[in-house]
This record gives sequence, structure tokens and C-alpha cells, in this order.
Amino acid sequence: MREGGLSPRAVVARIIVVLIFAILGLRLGYIQLIDDRYEKLADNNYLRNVVLYPPRGEIYDRNGELLAQNRLCYDVSIVRKDMPKSGFDTTRVSELVGMSREALIKKIKQSPYRRESRLTRYPIAVEQKLLLDEMNIGGFYTSQRTVRQYPRKIGGNLLGSINEVTKAKIEKDNSYSVGDYIGMEGLELAYEDVLRGEKGLVLQDIYAPQSERNTIIKEPVAGKSIICTIDAELQQLAEELMEGKVGAVVAIEPSTGEILTMVSSPTFNPDELVIGKERGNNYAKEINNPRMPLWNRAVKSRYPPGSTFKLVTGLIGMQESVLRPHYQYSCNMGYHLGGEHIGCHEHPSPLALNYAIATSCNAYFCYVFRNILENKQKYAIAKDGFEVWRDYVLSFGFGRKLDSDFLGEGAGYVPTREFYDKRYHKSWNALTILSLSIGQGELGCTPLQMANLAAIVANRGYYYIPHIVREIEGQDSLDTRFYQKQYTKVDTKHFEHIVNGMWRGVNKDGTCQGAYLKGFDVCGKTGTAQNSKGEDHSTFISFAPRNNPKIAIAVYVEHGGFGAEMAVPIASLIEEKYLTDTICRPALMEYVKKKKIAYPMYRKKKN
Amino acid sequence: MNFGQGKKESLFGSVDMVALLLYLLLVTIGVVAVFSASWVEDSENFFSFSHNYIKQVVWLGISFGVGVVVMLLDRSLWHKIAYFLYAAAILALLATLAFGRTVNGAKAWFEFGPIRLQTMEFAKIAIALSTARLMSEYGFSIASFRSLVKVALMLIVPLAITYLQNDTGSGLVLCSFIFMLYREGLNKWLCIPIIFIGTLFLLSFLYSPISLLVALILVFTISECFANRNFKHSTIYLALLFGGSTLLFLLLNSIPAIEVSYYAVLLSTTLLSMIGVCVYAYRTRLRNIFIMVSLFVVSVMITPTSNAMFNIMKPHQQDRIKTFLGITDDASLNYNVRQSKIAIGSGGMFGKGYLQGSHIRYGLVPEKHTDFIFCTIGEEFGFMGAIVVLILLLAFIFRLMRMGDNQRETFGRVYCYIVASILLFHTLINVGMTIGIVPVMGIPLPLISYGGSSLLAFSIMIFIAFAFDAQTTRELPTYSRF
Repeated sequence: MREGGLSPRAVVARIIVVLIFAILGLRLGYIQLIDDRYEKLADNNYLRNVVLYPPRGEIYDRNGELLAQNRLCYDVSIVRKDMPKSGFDTTRVSELVGMSREALIKKIKQSPYRRESRLTRYPIAVEQKLLLDEMNIGGFYTSQRTVRQYPRKIGGNLLGSINEVTKAKIEKDNSYSVGDYIGMEGLELAYEDVLRGEKGLVLQDIYAPQSERNTIIKEPVAGKSIICTIDAELQQLAEELMEGKVGAVVAIEPSTGEILTMVSSPTFNPDELVIGKERGNNYAKEINNPRMPLWNRAVKSRYPPGSTFKLVTGLIGMQESVLRPHYQYSCNMGYHLGGEHIGCHEHPSPLALNYAIATSCNAYFCYVFRNILENKQKYAIAKDGFEVWRDYVLSFGFGRKLDSDFLGEGAGYVPTREFYDKRYHKSWNALTILSLSIGQGELGCTPLQMANLAAIVANRGYYYIPHIVREIEGQDSLDTRFYQKQYTKVDTKHFEHIVNGMWRGVNKDGTCQGAYLKGFDVCGKTGTAQNSKGEDHSTFISFAPRNNPKIAIAVYVEHGGFGAEMAVPIASLIEEKYLTDTICRPALMEYVKKKKIAYPMYRKKKN
Repeated sequence: MNFGQGKKESLFGSVDMVALLLYLLLVTIGVVAVFSASWVEDSENFFSFSHNYIKQVVWLGISFGVGVVVMLLDRSLWHKIAYFLYAAAILALLATLAFGRTVNGAKAWFEFGPIRLQTMEFAKIAIALSTARLMSEYGFSIASFRSLVKVALMLIVPLAITYLQNDTGSGLVLCSFIFMLYREGLNKWLCIPIIFIGTLFLLSFLYSPISLLVALILVFTISECFANRNFKHSTIYLALLFGGSTLLFLLLNSIPAIEVSYYAVLLSTTLLSMIGVCVYAYRTRLRNIFIMVSLFVVSVMITPTSNAMFNIMKPHQQDRIKTFLGITDDASLNYNVRQSKIAIGSGGMFGKGYLQGSHIRYGLVPEKHTDFIFCTIGEEFGFMGAIVVLILLLAFIFRLMRMGDNQRETFGRVYCYIVASILLFHTLINVGMTIGIVPVMGIPLPLISYGGSSLLAFSIMIFIAFAFDAQTTRELPTYSRF
């Protein structure tokens, strides 16, 4: 019937059909032949980027003992699509992953259907992982991680902890991604870049995880180990001695600036904050503890240095030529002038510098302080003198960060001229601020700064910036700043006079005879800092031996009473341990360990 | 009427062998593709009846058997029972609505033991036959409004039921009848507006009212100007319209208290200008301008109301259209189309090889053996394979149209064209959605998609057309078809 030809409509109808197929064909050609976007997307679709987490660098103490090591564990993730339709033993799985059955079912229900999502925010142990593998349930995947483990369970604040990286951090630093671990506080934070290593990446065929098609894009690089300056045994002893007391202990090797011990008390067991099911609860427990165990007092707290600061006053006096070691001042149970009165205890009077240090005479240093500030030949007004005095103090490392490698270091506080101008409406003089001379008043020092003062005196005039890390794997040396002597503004020749006083205080007729160690010529200076909250703070700085000092130490016990009462025995025991490697005074050690101080001021406020 | 002149004894001798071959090729491709889409590497029993491909082969056998039976029946039978079948189909659709089984949200299925049938698949045959009969009745005229209303009613009833079944996708197939109606001589002034307004409806989601309005003004003026060859007047009109409304816009906005949008000004001036245009048309006796004016006014009204009309749709339909138009970012809605495009797009020129399509293998394409079977072809056989399938479908549709044109009476011709329309619609929508140019509607690729009821229904429908063709005696003298 072709003879009649097709009607025009039949022809147009055929053209329409051809047009429709042409559209389909052209579009098909475009997405299959021209646009190569889809090929790339196709690969992304069945290849899973599996992150290979590197083991974190381990932390050793100065003698090669492990302080923080790694424990293998596994993250569990799920893909709902791949789960068996017939269900599985949810009770057993919930036991293995450590969540309630209801929570598990809820979690699975809420998880994306096709995309992989983490089942728990914490990893499971190897044993649980193996048991889970044995169950062989579809849709469950595990990937290897490491978390910390602490053989000695010491140095909570010192080492810091690890936690999952926060969203805010990821936004700032795109080398992190969700689920990564990051150091929080302490060494883990300070040396995060060294310890973290580099993540690896493998393109894994979702449906054949073990197949050869998996291509390793990048091998993970293990984090570098670090050897820190801490002496584990000393650290442990110091923590035990500080038990039941609030305060801090910092010990430094004066000849290097290496921190031997750094205790903030109360401390916490670092194992409690290892990433895991219990971390949240434990963290909450610590953060809610009114004694604030997570607050690193050793580097952050501002304590009045008390009488230990007299060393600085004396040194500045000599440098300013207003004090000679043989100058004598009298003390009549304190310093009296006008309305001002600073009390002192009973001791022979008048007295010269070394005995003034040994017996910790308040009046003596009030005279010195006034002479520094009211030096009419040099300074028109006391305020100018004050500024000079302040510069000296800062050169000792007070009132500023020491620039150590330990992040979160506090600056302490040394008041400024402006501060007093504001407080006293510009009308103040040396007498107004006289209590600075004996380390009271507005002065605030961190225990690290006090230990550093001990190191300065031990070195007769200079210090190395205190630091916590001795050696980093694969690095020959540390930052050069840790090898440079930092001199104070006081000439080194003046220090021996101060050392004399400190030696006398321990070995002859001073306040800190409890620190005497036979054959070691221990030098020390006590401090008893008055405060508005309660009992005086007990503090003590010391170094030993007198010549070629091996250890400089600062002990600060909040509300511990006289310096000699709490701080001296603690420091002495630590020095004994470090210098002789034994303790010959077990009874004293037991007494100190068991001694508990009441802290009514730290009781939880009841709302 | 006597339709029985065909020589039954030479039934298979007179069957259109090309069409039959195409049919067999397409169903074979279907089985091959379904095998790939549902094959699992370490499957235990290759011939187990639980496999989709085995089921498909069995259904193919049944379909072919039923097809042969259909061929043996006299074509006059279909003419006789057409209305009865239509009534039965409507009842069946209603029954499904009442007692049917819900699959993928659509209550459109009947279940008999292991067999599941989608009622609309079979109802289509009845609707096709009854429409063909209606249009072949004495007194039916494609130009008569009454006749057209009858056809429209015949289609709207099942369409409404599928809407209630939440299976509008299947029902929309009936819209494809416009293609047959066009072939039958439907006034182009009815065809064009329907398609035009449909397109405009979609565009109105994509573009701002102002750009659509400007586009409409330009399209209408330019087509008017080409139709009537009055370039000068059209240019003057456009210049006056845009110049005037711009001036008015500036003037109005210079009055501090008044703030109007350009869209409002342009719309009012344009609508006002229609009076002038009508006067012009009356004077110049250009009657087609009246038609254009009314279509334009309707179009302009549609644009802002499309959102209201959109809300009549069911939420999942709205989502699909939104997804298609790229209005929504919801990944889960986009997922199917995205995965489908990735599967096809990654096929390249020659594909990844049979059974090698990673995308299909890993189950990333949903409904990969039913509605998205074209993905399997596109990924594993590449552009070449996909084009071959499209060409086969095109040839098959052409063959059906040829059968229709060869028919000597309206009944057969209309029926063949309806079958061609349905196949065309299914192909356009199904292939179009896998490559992302048509919103997702759950309708299968004819003869290829997995699904027994679909295959059987299509086969019956096609074999009836084959029978009509075979039973038309070719030796009879030709006469004008109109």
C-alpha cells in the first residue's frame, strides 16, 4: 500500500518519533562520550576511601622507660544496606560494642542506608573485635586505630590526653578530619605535630575488602617517639608525696633546663581519659572535682612566692649597689614605719644578708626594697625605681611566659606602674607596695617560674629555658633557644652571697634545716605565703648540691602552713631520691604521703 | 462490518517478519540484560526459579504462547469485545484500588500467589481497543468537539483511577494518545497548545516570571510575524510595548509613594495592548492572531498559577519533578537518577563488557533490572549498545506505524498507532529518566525491563497489532485512506 504514499500527518508523526529518539541518542552520547565526570564518579561509588591511622608516637622518660604507649583497638562502622535482612544477634553485638541493645537498634535505624557511618564514638578492644569478626555479620566493618595506655599511670596533667578532634579545629586546620584523634593539653598537645604521624589512605573495594584491587594511595607514617626530660620514678614519688595536698612540684636540672618532675596535685590517672566508653564520664568527674585536677597548677597557677622571693630582692639590691652582703639591719619583730607594719618572727638582730636569708627576716628585705626604689641619686621618684625593679624581676622569668615547650604555660603576674597608678589613684610610693619585697602583695608566680628561680641561683645567674622534651626521634637537636644561657640583669658575682644564705638556711641555723642531706650541701629558701582564703601557703625552693647543682626544685603546697612544715620535707625527699636514688627516711616519707590537708575553700559550693 | 477476509491458513506467512524479528531481538536483549542485572557471581543454582532471569525466560515463553493464540483469533473479535473489555478494565482498576496490593507506594497491583500483575498494564490494551473502536464508529469526526469529548472521557476515567492508586506514572501513558490523535488529524491548534502549555508549566518552575513573560512576548510576536509576514508592524509593536512599559516603569517609580516591579508594569501593558492587537487583527483580517492572543493570555495566566497547580500533585510526584528540575538538593531524591547517570555515563563508547558493570554489580543502581534496566545496557555495552537498543525500538515503533498506515479501516489504524504511541511514551520516559532528562516515573522499558506482567501485556498488545496486520489482505486494491 505504499503506492498511495503517506499522508502528511503520518510523515510528520515519523519526524516527531525520530526527533524524540534523536534527543535521547544525543543526550546519551553526551553523558557517555563527552562528559567524563561520570566515570570518575563511578569509581568513587564502589571504592571506599579507608583511612589508615598511624600509630601515635610513644613517650619515654629520660631513662628510656615508657610513659605513654599505644594499644591496638578498632573502630566499628556500619552500612545498613549490607546488613542481613533476617536480622542478627543484637544482644551479642551490643555486648561486644558496649552499648545497650536498644541504643544499638536505634543507632542502626538512624544510620544512613548506603553510606558508611561509625557505630560508636569510641573504639573497641582487640578481643571484642575478634569476637565480632567471628560472628561474621554483613554490614559491620572495623578499622584499626590505636589509643594510649600508660604503664605507670602517672603524669596526667603532664602528658595530657587524646580525644577526637573538634569541628572547630577541623575548620581551622584541614589536615584533620572527622574521627581523627588529637592531643589535648600537656605533652600530647605540645608535640601533637611530632606525635601524630601521617594518615595513610587506601582505596578499598567495598565489596572485596581483601582483594588485590585495593590500591594504597599513601602509606601511613607512624608518629615520632619522644624522649621527655621527666624522670618517671621521681615523678611517681612526687605525685605520691603530694597526695592529699593541693599544689605543685617542679624540678629542673639547672645545667640544662630539663624538667625532671612536674606535678600538679591533685593529679589524675591518665588511663581514665583514654578514648573509650568511659572517657566521657571520667572527664565529667574530673572537671566537676572542686579541686580541679585538670588544671595544671605547675605551669598555670599564680601563687604568691612568699619569702622565696627575698632572694630576688636581695640580688636586685646588690646589683643596684644599695646592698652589700655585710650591711646589717635590725628587726624588732618586723618592719615599722609610719602606719606600715610588716611582722617578722623572733630572731637575733641586727643581722647581715646571709643570715637574713637563712632565717627569712622580713624587715631586712623591706629596707632593701625601699633602698632600691627610693634611690634618690638615680631615680627622681620611687615610681621610676619601681619600673627598674620590675625590669629586674622580669629578667628572672617572672611576670612573663618562659617560652618553654609546654603549651598552656601561664605568665604569672608582676604588677606594673600603671596598675598601681590606677589602684592608688597615682598616689603611691615604696611603702605602699612594700609587701612586694617579701613576695606578697599582687605578685603571682607559677611553680615553674619558682623552680626556674632556684635554677638561676644554682647556676649563679643564668638559666636555660625549662623544657619537657629531651629528644625527638629523627631529630638531632631541639630548638636552639633551649641551648642558650638566659642571663638575668643581675651580675653573676652577686649570686654567691645569696647561695651562702640559702646554704646556711639548710645546713646551719635557718628555717629549712629539714632539707639537710648529708654530703650534698643542699641550699634552700622557704616561703610562707599569707593569703586571704585560709592557712598560709607552704613553699620551698632549693637546689643541690651547692657546687655543680644537679637538681633545682620548687614545691608549693596550698594552705600547707609554714614553708618548713610541708614543702621542705617533700622537696627534700625528692632531692634525696634523685641524688642518692634511695630514701633513707622511710618514716618521713610515709608521714608526708599520708598527711592530708583539709581544704574547706575547695568544697563544692552548694547552690 | 467484516474483518475476516484474512487467510487464516497462511497466518504466519503473512505476518510482518521484520516486526516479529524486532520483537524477538528486543525481548532477547531484555533477558540478556536482566540476567546481567540480577546475576550473582557465586550463585549456587544457575537454573533456580528464584532467579529473575529464569522467571523472565518463563514469562517470555508464556507471552509468546499467548501471542500466537492472539494471532490465531479473528481480528473482528477484538472489535466486538472492545467496549466490554474497557468496562472490565475499569472494574479491574477500581477493584485494585479497593483490594489491591501496595508496591512502592502505588496500590496498583493484584497478587495471585507468586504472580503479581499491574492492572494498568492490561487495562491499557482494553483502553487502546475501545478508543480505536470509538474512533472508528460511524459519525465520529476528529474535527467534532463532541467526538473529542468522548475520547477525552474514555481516557480521563482510567487516568483518574491511577491517580487515586498513586500510580499516575502508569496512567500518564494515556497522554501519549495525543500522538495518535495527531496522526488522525486532530487540529494542530489543539495539539500545539496542549504541548506548549505542558512545556510552559515545567519552565515556570525554572525561570522567573519576568523572563518567561519576555520570552512569551517574543515567541508569540515572532511566530505571528512569520505567520503573517508583517515584520514592520511586529517590530513597531515590540518597540512600543517595551519602550512604553519601560517609560511607565521609570515614571511610576519616580513617584516616591509608589513602588512597582517591572514585571507588573510589563504584564499590565502587554495585557492592555491585547485590545490594540485584536483591533489590528480585525482590521487586517488576520484571524490567526486571535488564536495567538487567546493562547498567549492563557500562557500568561498559567505561569504564576503553576505553583498552585503543582500543589495538586502528590508529594512524591512533586519531589520527582523538583528533583528533575534541580530545585531540590535532597540527595536521597536525586540518588536514583544520579546513580543511573553515573552507571550509564561510565559506560563510555563500548561499555565495560557484559557482566562487568561495576555499578550494576555492586547494586548501586536501584531497580536495576526493572525500571532502570537501561543502565545495565548503557554501562555494560556502552554507547554503541545503548544506541543499538534505541535504534531497534525506533525501528519497531516505525514498523507499528507502518502497520497502522497499511490498515484499511480506522479501527486497525488507530489501534496500531496507539500501540506505537504507548511504546514511544514508555521509551521516552524510561530512557529519558535514566539519563536525567525526564522526571522519574515508575514505568518500564517495553519488552526489555524485567517484569512478567509488563512483558505479557506488551506482548498481547503487540501481537494484536501483528494480527491486524497479518489479517489485512494485501492483495486487495488500494484506496485512499482518507
